[in-house]
Amino acid sequence: MATTDLRPAATAGTGGRGLRSASAAGSGRRRVRPARIAVNVVLLAVCLAFVLPLAWMVLASISSTASFELTLPSPPTLDNFHAILNTDTTFRPLLNGLLLCGGATLLCVVVSILAAYPLSRYRSRLRRPFLYTVLFTTGLPITAVMIPVYSMFVQVDLIDSMGATVLFLTASALPIAIWLMKNFMDGVPIVLEEAARIDGANAMQSLARVVLPLMWPGVIVVTVFTFISMWGNFFVPFVLLLSPEKLPASVSVFTFLSAHDQTQYGQLAAFSIVYTLPVVMLYLLLTRKLGGGFALGGALKG
Amino acid sequence: MRKKLLAAFAITVAATLSAAGCGGSASGSGGNSIKVVYWQHLDQNDNKQQKFLASMKTSFEKAHPGKKIEVVPVTASENDYYTKIQLMMRSPSTAPDLVYEDTALINSDIASGYLKPIDSYVKSWADWGSFAKAAKGAVSSPTDGKTYGVPDDTDTRGIWYNQNLLKKAGIATPWQPKTWQDILDTARTIKKKLPGVTPMNFYTGQAGGEQSTMQGFEMLLYGTDAADNSLYDAKNKKWIVGSQGFKDALTFVHTVYSENLGLSKPTALGPNAGAEVGTKLLPDNKLAIDIDGSWMANNWLKTGPRPWPDWAKTMASAAMPTQAGQAPGRVSMSGGWAWSIPAKAKNPDLAWQFTKAIKNKDNSTKWNIIESTTAVRTDVAADPKYLDATPTNKFFTGLVAYTHFRPALPKYPQVSNAITKAMESVTTGQSSVDQAAKTYDQDLATAVGSDSTAKGAR
Amino acid sequence: MKSAAAPAGHAGAPARGSGGHPAGSSLLRGLPLLPSLVLLAVFLAGPIVYCVYDAFTDAQLTGAAQTHFVGLANFTRAFGDPDFLNALWLTMVFVVGSAVVGQNTLGLALAVLTEKATRPVRSLTNGVVIAAWVLPEIVAGYLMYAFFYQQGALNDVLGALGLPRQNWLYTLPILAVCLANVWRGTAFSMMVYSAALGEVPRELVEAAEMDGAGVWHRLWHVTLPVIRRSIMTNLMLITLQTLSVFGLIYAMTRGGPGNKSQTLPVFMYQQAFQNSLIGYGTAIALVLLVVGALFSVVYLKLLKVEED
Repeated sequence: MATTDLRPAATAGTGGRGLRSASAAGSGRRRVRPARIAVNVVLLAVCLAFVLPLAWMVLASISSTASFELTLPSPPTLDNFHAILNTDTTFRPLLNGLLLCGGATLLCVVVSILAAYPLSRYRSRLRRPFLYTVLFTTGLPITAVMIPVYSMFVQVDLIDSMGATVLFLTASALPIAIWLMKNFMDGVPIVLEEAARIDGANAMQSLARVVLPLMWPGVIVVTVFTFISMWGNFFVPFVLLLSPEKLPASVSVFTFLSAHDQTQYGQLAAFSIVYTLPVVMLYLLLTRKLGGGFALGGALKG
Repeated sequence: MRKKLLAAFAITVAATLSAAGCGGSASGSGGNSIKVVYWQHLDQNDNKQQKFLASMKTSFEKAHPGKKIEVVPVTASENDYYTKIQLMMRSPSTAPDLVYEDTALINSDIASGYLKPIDSYVKSWADWGSFAKAAKGAVSSPTDGKTYGVPDDTDTRGIWYNQNLLKKAGIATPWQPKTWQDILDTARTIKKKLPGVTPMNFYTGQAGGEQSTMQGFEMLLYGTDAADNSLYDAKNKKWIVGSQGFKDALTFVHTVYSENLGLSKPTALGPNAGAEVGTKLLPDNKLAIDIDGSWMANNWLKTGPRPWPDWAKTMASAAMPTQAGQAPGRVSMSGGWAWSIPAKAKNPDLAWQFTKAIKNKDNSTKWNIIESTTAVRTDVAADPKYLDATPTNKFFTGLVAYTHFRPALPKYPQVSNAITKAMESVTTGQSSVDQAAKTYDQDLATAVGSDSTAKGAR
Repeated sequence: MKSAAAPAGHAGAPARGSGGHPAGSSLLRGLPLLPSLVLLAVFLAGPIVYCVYDAFTDAQLTGAAQTHFVGLANFTRAFGDPDFLNALWLTMVFVVGSAVVGQNTLGLALAVLTEKATRPVRSLTNGVVIAAWVLPEIVAGYLMYAFFYQQGALNDVLGALGLPRQNWLYTLPILAVCLANVWRGTAFSMMVYSAALGEVPRELVEAAEMDGAGVWHRLWHVTLPVIRRSIMTNLMLITLQTLSVFGLIYAMTRGGPGNKSQTLPVFMYQQAFQNSLIGYGTAIALVLLVVGALFSVVYLKLLKVEED
């Protein structure tokens, strides 16, 4: 089935978002009422199912007697937040996490944009094998490679270095970032570049002036995606960093759990909220720039 | 080959990174400083060791001007702690000078060549004579006989019971079961007389890990006829398969859970069984008998996770009996931690000075009291200050005479894992005792090699 | 496609002719790839090669001073180990159940439904589903533990509806972790499909509607064929991501009870780090890599028709 024939020329590359909302609104107006109500009801039920697990986090965080049971706190208290909002428990680990994951995400996004350009624009016999090799490595659990990585870092005296940890995090997120980025870039039609080329722009200039602005939604998706996966990563910083004062928030989540004594559920919940906030903020910040929508994958077509 | 591969990568990395301009921070152990690494429990409230070591550091630095002690906690699960210290000890640049080792795993690290023998140091240390023999055995290598650590503390295991509940069920206290059967019979009585009360806790299952093996299974196994040779025959260096004692112990586990004498199966098999018992069921008077460790009272101290001022009036302790009451009548298991000097430590001499300081009599007493662990120094064990610190100290210190140590061999963790697997399958009823024992024999053969196993007594 | 630039609008086909450029410039054009190549070669390829080597040795983190080359022993051990085969099977169940069926279908359904919903409901759905996605893995793990816990939220709801309460983590652990992964990962599929559906030409759907085609018929015969490439890509990405899920399962069940939710990454972690069997553990990781590659090859075969 040749799907490319079905794609109208005008929509390609300009991002599906605008079109999608237009078509949704258009067709929505003509929908029969009962059907639409049914759809809304079904979706609200799904929402409820998705919200329910989050309820525990919120309730437990303001309860003084929290357990894994779902109970209303009586009375609600901010003690859990008071207990965790200090330098050692929360602020320094969060800052470390921002430095590590923020740095690595930035680097990863920049490097993957650069890599995506030749992969998207030029043909080569090596392109497909390279892309798929890179893709397959994403199926490997990162825990499997940490021991050789540690030995390697020790040999060159990079253990306990935040800079080197950033580089490793970058590399571990690169395969999927390159892959996604390349696909997004494929969605930007080459004709648009031709004009810039005629004006005398070189490849990098046309990448910066023509391609990037058009694939901004894709870049944002890759950014959020990369940051989320790093922000939750416990094992990499735990192995590569030795000094307790360099460890990020993903490692300190575990301080609320204990194998032998009581787990501090209320504090765990409170910390989870604080720990999740940066990701939510990043997401909101970036998507707000896009006008509230999200557009993973206009170009995720293969 | 490994070395070459590694070197090749290392050079590439070095080239890349020096270009990128990020170097690692050099670790701070020079001639006048040492790095001391210990395990910081995953419980924020449990910072006893952190405080203790901080005070040791201060007094040591004051007594030895110019020397610096850097205390580095590794906050992680026990498993991840080992992974981390083992990685650290592999290379000179990250190896600490003093490291906190579980005596159950110390032999693995000795076999890997991670640790330094300290015989030359202890020879000239007068205090060494005060350490209990069993404890010294736990830190010496079975292969070369050398000493690889200074024991820090130990523990014993026995039975905790709720006197009020037992009385209510019509059982005479003080209670001291003579056989396994006594325990089961008492539990059955409680089940009948006191609905809503869990008769007994017997740790089981894989999620519990070593807790299931040691507080649970081995308390039974080492009380069977083969006693010290029931799991591993040290003389012939063989792991025991197919023994009747093993099956009898599994039958006990099966009985407890098939008759619902223990915790509900999901709780017993879940990862939080220990917390459930120590901080909920016992202080709530919902559990009558608990086969557990000497440290349980830590849960109920003012500083513990579940303060329970009345615990000393409510809880009493009894020794775990042997299977049919055979001599010596009682059984206990011991573990404990030790301070070791890694083979690649930069400053072993200073590390030894510090070890001597924290393990002298005064500081040992202080530490055993703070942590309410069992003393490894005989002079501390006789000190009234220590004996009166916690009401149960005397009883559990007395169990040292009956105690057994696990075969601290590199393969032990895998054997322990196979035991918990067998326990779990008879707890759930997934397999019969015979099947579970057979599976264990196979797992054991895979783990240690079939030429390292021997048939036990039928 | 020859050497000319792609025809207008042919966005799916990335191509720039090589004709007319001197051979030397192809190196220059590949230059932007260099930073990625260096990072990947040094930090990933190096350790992976080293892992491949380790998989053929009896390397241990502790317990032995020497490491020996043991040939295929780790692999023969794995395939003779009922626990490994169990883990392999559960990994398949987990991937097919939670990713291929769960995330993929639910993601598509949500994308289709949100198009037809009123605006506030659409925003709410998007927000809630994405909230689960942005949670750090370990936090998601604890939330799911609390949700499926015996006295947890799910059973409260079931109880309130008069349905039997279940001890999910005990009786149906693999179902519980599958549902958890659906909860956490559906957002990704939903976003992919929302974007893809936006590119389905409206005229096409309306034409089918005129012909009297029902909802299902339209979805099956018109919409799905158009977004086929998105489906394949989505399947490939979520499969690979689901294959290496570790933290979620570890936080919820530790692979238990017994080994009833022990997928390959959990099994690998236990062998490599609990039992210190680095050689065996890495051999398992390599099997996982092969499983991922097999899934991808199947998807690629299905995709091939359209690849230029």
